[in-house]
Amino acid sequence: MSKRPPPDPVAVLRGHRASVTDASFHPTKNILFTGSTDGELRIWDTVQHRTISSSWVHSAAHGIISVVAGGENRVISQGRDGTIKYWDIGEAGLSRSPLITIKTNSYHFCKLSLLNNPHAEVEPTEVVKNHQESELSGGNMSSTELESDKKVEGSIYVAAAGEDLSVVELWDVNTGEKLIKLPNHSINSTKARGMCMAVKAFLPPESHGYVNVMSGYEDGSMVWWDIRNPASPMTCVKFHSEPVLSLSFDNLCGGGVSGSADEKIVMFTLDPSTGSCLVKKEIILERPGIGGTSIRPDGKIFATAGWDHRVRIYDYRKGNALAILKYHHATCNAVSFSDNSKLMASSSEDTTVALWEIYPPRN
Amino acid sequence: MGNEEKKRRELERRVLEKVEQAIASVHNAKDVDQVIVALYSVAVCLFPLHLHSLSGSVDEKYRQELWALEAPSGDDKTEWCNVFYRGAAFRAFARVLLYDVASDWLACFAASARKHVYDVFFLNGCAAEIVQVVVPCLQLSGSGGHDSSAVCLNAERLLVLCLLENDLILQIAREFAGGAQFQDLSHEQLKQAISKVSQLVTSIPDKARLGAPTSLSSHLFFERLTTQLLQGAEEWDMMLVDETAAAEDTHMDGSIRFVGEAFARICRRGSADVLLSEMIPRILGQVRSVLSSNSVLAISEIFDSKPGFRFWLKIMEAVNDSHSVERIAEELLHQLAVQNINDVEGYWILWILFGRIFKRQTPIRFTFVEKFLLWKIFPTCCLRWIIYFAVLECTPNSASLRSYNAHGLSNTVHRLVVAWSRKEFVQSSPIEQQAYVTAALGLCLEKMGKEDLDATKDGLHSILQGISCRLESPVYLIRKMASAIAFVFSKIIDPQNPLYLDDTSREETIDWEFGLATRRKGALTTPVHDGDERTVERENSSSTLSGKQIQKGEENGVGNAAKARRKKESAFTLIDPDEVIDPATINESTFYEDESDHASEDSETSSDSLLQPYDLTDDDADLKRKFSQLVDVVGALRKSDDAEGVEKALDVAEKLIRASPDELKYMAGDLAKTLVQVRCSDVTVEGEEESAEEKRQKAVVALIVTCPLESLDSLNKLLYSPNVDISQRVMILDIMIDAAQELASARILKSEHRPKALISSTSDQPWFMPRNTGPPGAGPWKEISSTGTPLNWSYSYERELPSKAGQIKRGKTRRWSLRTAIQDNQMEWSQNSFPQYAAAFMLPAMQGYDKKRHGVDLLGRDFIVLGKLIYMLGVCIKCAAMHPEASVLASPLLDMLRSRY
Repeated sequence: MSKRPPPDPVAVLRGHRASVTDASFHPTKNILFTGSTDGELRIWDTVQHRTISSSWVHSAAHGIISVVAGGENRVISQGRDGTIKYWDIGEAGLSRSPLITIKTNSYHFCKLSLLNNPHAEVEPTEVVKNHQESELSGGNMSSTELESDKKVEGSIYVAAAGEDLSVVELWDVNTGEKLIKLPNHSINSTKARGMCMAVKAFLPPESHGYVNVMSGYEDGSMVWWDIRNPASPMTCVKFHSEPVLSLSFDNLCGGGVSGSADEKIVMFTLDPSTGSCLVKKEIILERPGIGGTSIRPDGKIFATAGWDHRVRIYDYRKGNALAILKYHHATCNAVSFSDNSKLMASSSEDTTVALWEIYPPRN
Repeated sequence: MGNEEKKRRELERRVLEKVEQAIASVHNAKDVDQVIVALYSVAVCLFPLHLHSLSGSVDEKYRQELWALEAPSGDDKTEWCNVFYRGAAFRAFARVLLYDVASDWLACFAASARKHVYDVFFLNGCAAEIVQVVVPCLQLSGSGGHDSSAVCLNAERLLVLCLLENDLILQIAREFAGGAQFQDLSHEQLKQAISKVSQLVTSIPDKARLGAPTSLSSHLFFERLTTQLLQGAEEWDMMLVDETAAAEDTHMDGSIRFVGEAFARICRRGSADVLLSEMIPRILGQVRSVLSSNSVLAISEIFDSKPGFRFWLKIMEAVNDSHSVERIAEELLHQLAVQNINDVEGYWILWILFGRIFKRQTPIRFTFVEKFLLWKIFPTCCLRWIIYFAVLECTPNSASLRSYNAHGLSNTVHRLVVAWSRKEFVQSSPIEQQAYVTAALGLCLEKMGKEDLDATKDGLHSILQGISCRLESPVYLIRKMASAIAFVFSKIIDPQNPLYLDDTSREETIDWEFGLATRRKGALTTPVHDGDERTVERENSSSTLSGKQIQKGEENGVGNAAKARRKKESAFTLIDPDEVIDPATINESTFYEDESDHASEDSETSSDSLLQPYDLTDDDADLKRKFSQLVDVVGALRKSDDAEGVEKALDVAEKLIRASPDELKYMAGDLAKTLVQVRCSDVTVEGEEESAEEKRQKAVVALIVTCPLESLDSLNKLLYSPNVDISQRVMILDIMIDAAQELASARILKSEHRPKALISSTSDQPWFMPRNTGPPGAGPWKEISSTGTPLNWSYSYERELPSKAGQIKRGKTRRWSLRTAIQDNQMEWSQNSFPQYAAAFMLPAMQGYDKKRHGVDLLGRDFIVLGKLIYMLGVCIKCAAMHPEASVLASPLLDMLRSRY
């Protein structure tokens, strides 16, 4: 039986002038945000396949590492210039100046991670905040207006590699405050692991609202933190022999996928109650290097962005390969699924963003 | 003088008398207290004793007796003591003490009494004597009416007390250094005494009974013994006031001789490991302190001059037993290998310990350069130290490497190569041995220069033989050894052009352990001192964990409490938070789970057409290298081993050159040379040589055309260079012919046209008139009537233009007309651009064609090239015809042609 040839992209979004590093769908609207290495943030209409707005949000010399849709009308961009910027999207595209600019002073390759479900978990994250207040030496800076703002927006936290590149920092984007460092003591136990290359903040249901963070390091190890114990990690595992470049978890936090510079993709399971992280399946690749991974919100499939110009699709439950998507003619940097699971965007160094409809959900 | 002698005699007599009395009273004693009193009567004459300490343990009626005993004064006491120990008195008395008193009375002694009137004789006296009397007691046989077990028990107790707890060994060493009792002995006698004492001391563990205290077991005893001996040696060194004696090499003081003798006997008794585990930390500490001190003095000078360091230089000489020295050296290397020691430290430790004897004693030389390189197997790091120490005889610092012993090196390499290349060696010796000898040879070769290799007797031949007989081997490791040696060898011959016999490994550094290291290391970790022993034990106890995990566990000592808490929580999975989990083991554990998962899902997904996989075939056509820069092309062409890359580079070379990028000018010469030297036949598959050849020629032609001066310069150099063969010379000439012809018929395909506004309001002439711009001297535009059809939609103009220098005119006018007409016109337009380069083509090629050089002989053997050359020159002249350059060049050409025919 001859198999179907792999599909072509349903649309290709051209317009960036440099390598497109990241893409992120708006949670509800048909909007895609993309960022490129020359610092340009573009907003696309994913129905008409047109640019809605384009603006240089980070300096061209440094570029954007990652872009994340941060809520109904907010977007977060992270530049290699040591800043994270929080933007308001109005009717006519991006606001002129960011709502908040966080100076992380960190210059690295680690894409930030937005806490995956900020809306539903306002209360517990408040607890987190109170819990951490003793850590903050600068005193309580949150004024009443910020408090009211928070009620509307919910708290938005991002995790990213910090100024000390082996440390993960958690920031409150609404206030621009640094909440915590992992590890938080001066004797840095993760220093030997090298730079933090990938980070994922998540909120497993079992953690009673305390944020958990998984960080991947240059030496291929991954460390699981519970911010209740910022001094030492909950679990350390080493699945990869090369730097861990991307991490993604499913919505239930029961497992995830990690991509690395070596020739394998590791699917692993997470058990937050015991803190165990075990390999579920290793997928061996012909050519090494996975720059980005993404699990579709419905948990059926996941996609990888390969250095070999290919986007690969796998069955998330079984881990078998489903498709090899050849369109890009340069390294793929990121893949991203829309929240309704219908669309996938892949961004590449060839300055294009491809939109795919792959295994769309039936209803 | 005589008076003195007399006095001494007198004293001797009195001492003997006293001892005699005491012995008699011991024999006649009915009560333990009588024995105590008798012993005390002797002790009080010799040692400063306090009666109070004793009186409690003696019965009332003897106390008076004790008080009544008179003792000599302080100074006299030492004199008494000397006489007592040096004469026969002590031996006789000790016999009574050790046998009679020990078997009959000692059990009844109170502890304080035993200490003050019994042990005191063995603690304060002459240590060498004491050892000589006590040690034989250990082997008392049942006869003689003594309670042998009591005697032995007592002797063991005394030995532990004296030797181990009161450092009597150290005292012996001191005594040999200059004790009074050895002063009047002759050299020979002293030697005998030393030998006897050291023999007795080291025999103690063997003589000790089964139930003897554990501290007399050989491991613990020798450990303690070594410590004291080393301390003694150091002390001797510190006190060595006589500098000349230290410098004088043959001088062997009693003390150091004793230490050496004892070391030799320890090794002979098979406890070299204990000895070394005590020795290494000391010497390593000293070496490290010296190395880190950045002293201006060389390390050798420091060890030569600094008190407390000098004894190391002598200690091996003092051992004076080549077998023991060898054992020590071997053990030293093995123990150092498992410690974290760098090459410099390793070298210096060897130099300090064995440097002197290596120079003087042939057996030791033999041990190092023959046994340790050919017969034994050490880890590679040790091998490096041995080579630095024994072969190169210089420190591993790169600065001093220049002064290595070249003669020794080539001798050693000769020996190694002879052994290495023997067929029987390849066939029959164990693989570890082969790897070791290969490593030794390889490391030596790495240090060699070309001239060293030439100095080595039939080195080249043997190496090649060894390589070839190894390459035939079916064992991969053996072939790998051959390729490693071949690689090192080729680097000696030509460092720029290393030879890789093995395509898979391209690393510059070779693993001389050939992957055998881990096994050897594992075997080595056993004989180490306590620190490492612990790890070994742990490793054994937790054999499922890898060494790495243990290390990790030790590193992350922080947060242990938290760890423990979480461990409790996750008792089921037992995840250590700091543990690095080996994915392999986990895979194994989740394997079955996974399988069942699959099974259950298969039925589900078979109906679920959603996730049917697409065609998963994937080729890498789009990933192949594409050259877009000339630099890459040059790089690829130089890599003659990457045929595919060369082929690709050839494919694109012409196109890239024709594009005439800015950098072409700078790399034209280089590129021309590289292109000429590419071996097309090597890189292409059979049958396609022609096309590759053609591509190459086209590329060079393009290069000459686009960048004539630079590329011709290097081509002309190549033409007479000894590094090209006839076919390449002919090819160069062919290429030049093609290029000359192309240049001569160069067409200017594009005229200079910039987008200009067609309608210009500022000019006073009509918009359709051509602009007046142009070269100076151009005439005014004139409208020309169209030819042919009367229906003419366009205007045509013409004007006179001055001719450019050195250009052939095909017509006298330029026409300005509609575009198509222009193009037609310009296609016609050609310009011979050759003449300006004619000199660059011809003159260098004509110069020196008749000189016979290395590999170049146009007038003789290479006449074909000469023919081609003349042909090329002819073509050049033809292309330059009708130009002034031709007449200039004609005369040298004619001269050349005339001169030979």
